[in-house]
Amino acid sequence: MKALSLTTRISLFFAVAASLVLLATAYVLTQAVEAHFEEEDRYELNGKLDLIQNLFRHASSQGELDRLPQQLDDALVGHHGLAVVVTDQAGNIWFATSGADFPHRLLQTCQTRPAACAEGTLHQWQKNGVSNRGIAASITAGDGTPYIVALVQDIQHHELFMDTFRSVLGIAIALAALATASLGWAVTRWGLSPLRKVTDTVAGISAERLGARLPSAGLPAELMPLAAAFNAMLVRLDDAFRRLSEFSSNIAHELRTPISNLMTQTQVALSTARNRDEYKEILYSSLEEYERMAQMVGDMLYLAQADNGLLRPGLETVDLSSETTSLFDYFEAWAEERGVSLVQTGSASVPGDRLMLRRALSNLLSNAIRHTPQGHTVRVTLETPGDKAVVTIENPGPEIPAEHISRLFDRFYRIDPSRERKSDGTGLGLAIVKSIIEAHGGVLSVISANGATRFQLTLPMTGG
Amino acid sequence: MKILIVEDEPKTGAYLKQGLTEAGFVADLAREGWEGLELAKEGHYDLIILDVMLPGLNGWQVLEGLRRAGVEVPVLFLTARDQVEDRVKGLELGADDYLVKPFAFAELLARVRTLVRRGHAGLDAAVLRVADLELDLLRRRATRSGRRIDLTAKEFSLLELFLRRKGEVLPRSLIASQVWDMNFDSDTNVIDVAVRRLRVKIDDGFASKLIHTVRGMGYVLENGLEDRA
Repeated sequence: MKALSLTTRISLFFAVAASLVLLATAYVLTQAVEAHFEEEDRYELNGKLDLIQNLFRHASSQGELDRLPQQLDDALVGHHGLAVVVTDQAGNIWFATSGADFPHRLLQTCQTRPAACAEGTLHQWQKNGVSNRGIAASITAGDGTPYIVALVQDIQHHELFMDTFRSVLGIAIALAALATASLGWAVTRWGLSPLRKVTDTVAGISAERLGARLPSAGLPAELMPLAAAFNAMLVRLDDAFRRLSEFSSNIAHELRTPISNLMTQTQVALSTARNRDEYKEILYSSLEEYERMAQMVGDMLYLAQADNGLLRPGLETVDLSSETTSLFDYFEAWAEERGVSLVQTGSASVPGDRLMLRRALSNLLSNAIRHTPQGHTVRVTLETPGDKAVVTIENPGPEIPAEHISRLFDRFYRIDPSRERKSDGTGLGLAIVKSIIEAHGGVLSVISANGATRFQLTLPMTGG
Repeated sequence: MKILIVEDEPKTGAYLKQGLTEAGFVADLAREGWEGLELAKEGHYDLIILDVMLPGLNGWQVLEGLRRAGVEVPVLFLTARDQVEDRVKGLELGADDYLVKPFAFAELLARVRTLVRRGHAGLDAAVLRVADLELDLLRRRATRSGRRIDLTAKEFSLLELFLRRKGEVLPRSLIASQVWDMNFDSDTNVIDVAVRRLRVKIDDGFASKLIHTVRGMGYVLENGLEDRA
């Protein structure tokens, strides 16, 4: 299902919230008006009741009692919708205004529950589609005869008013909800317009234009962190992309040289008849080129695997000091021939992949031996400060200029581009070391100062 | 010695067949999985060289079929993928060795000889000999023409490897992995230096040289041979 747009969400939310608030207000209002009408009716009915009671109280003789109906008619004339019935204790109607139509229940209230009758409880009911309110009470005439009087008020006009009131309120609420929804829509559109601007900028960024940045000026505070994070991502992307395209152009360049060597050599060889030894010489020369290319391709595959996270080191315990000893053993004759001595101090063990770590150490060690002047010493120091193992491989020799340090682990990066290919391997050795160490969750760093170069591997000693 | 090559890439197949034939093996070539499986079942081979990516059945399926049919011939896998999972899968299925493409032919030959020899295991001699050079494996002593030669431990291992594989061209990568347990290519000439030093000790001062360089391939220990370069 497609997610609702922010604008729709906010507009809907506004509409619903406004409707709820208005509905609640309308409910309270209606209740208040109803209560007011009821109070008014009660007041009216009680007033009439007092009047009637007063008339009865002053009728202490039969003559006065006989005159009472006339007095009642006079007193009640002009009160539209008011009806009065007076009965004696037995329930026989003694007086009734015209059109009075009482529910029997009301008259019986005083007989069945005199207490309720004394309180003047307000009753409400409907008959033939007409709403009524009424009270009943016991009264005593001047001569002490008890009567029951019931007053009924027709409240049809209240009901009519309430109906109108409700429908007006309903229309008002609907209109208000609609208005807030449109307002919400407009406000959201307006509020989100910086986001659309950002989107347009982002949409315009292609691989060729990774240098573009989101302008942070004029952005609302909420979008500032987003723009900053996005710009930071662009910087990383730009850098990675630049390295990648450099890498592929380097691959092309590195392969072009041996391929053009091979082609030229073969074409020259075929251009005229040669003896057996000459052909053999050409094949040997080609073989050397092939071998170099094969090793380069192998190294590149290894790095590609590292890039894709396919190099997952095993987690056996690797004794770095015994690895160093084996590597010294391996490089011994070569180092001796170059007049370089090898010294190892300390010990450390880390969880990791023995073959991978050995390869990393081997690359660093051969690199160190190669750059050490005759008569000097390559030192490998193993330390375990805290929960880390630190391997330091230090060799005296010409310092690496500062501008090369940060790019030393880049693929095919060479300090001296004119340097002879052969003596320098594939140019991927240090990049492989970096990949291996990073696959182990470690850090590789290099310092070159005071006539010595020091590579340092920091590896975690706890698994993971 | 009969070897079956199952390889669909025409050039690779043809050169493998030619190379192995010239190295003194009888080599047959199958270009497809099913064909390879049928030939392997019938042909009484001493070794099967299996490519992993094959039309029809892949190398692993061929190997499974062979083992299911009870054929216990040694199998060497050739794979273009050097991912650990692939190696583990091949070895789990009962392959005896694997080689990642591109490989040096000398390397293949050395491994083929190891596997074929394993199938016909001989007695382990206590003394290895070639011409007037003697290597006493028990006393760890080397002599030439009766004269004692002082060797370091690694030099002794290196010489032992040469003697056990006399007449075979040993590529540098094989020497590195057999003597020093270094299973990756190094961009140094460590092996050349080590072999040169061993050569000084056993060949200097003798008319007939025993250790020879085979250009572009590696080294060989052989009596009465000029350097093949």
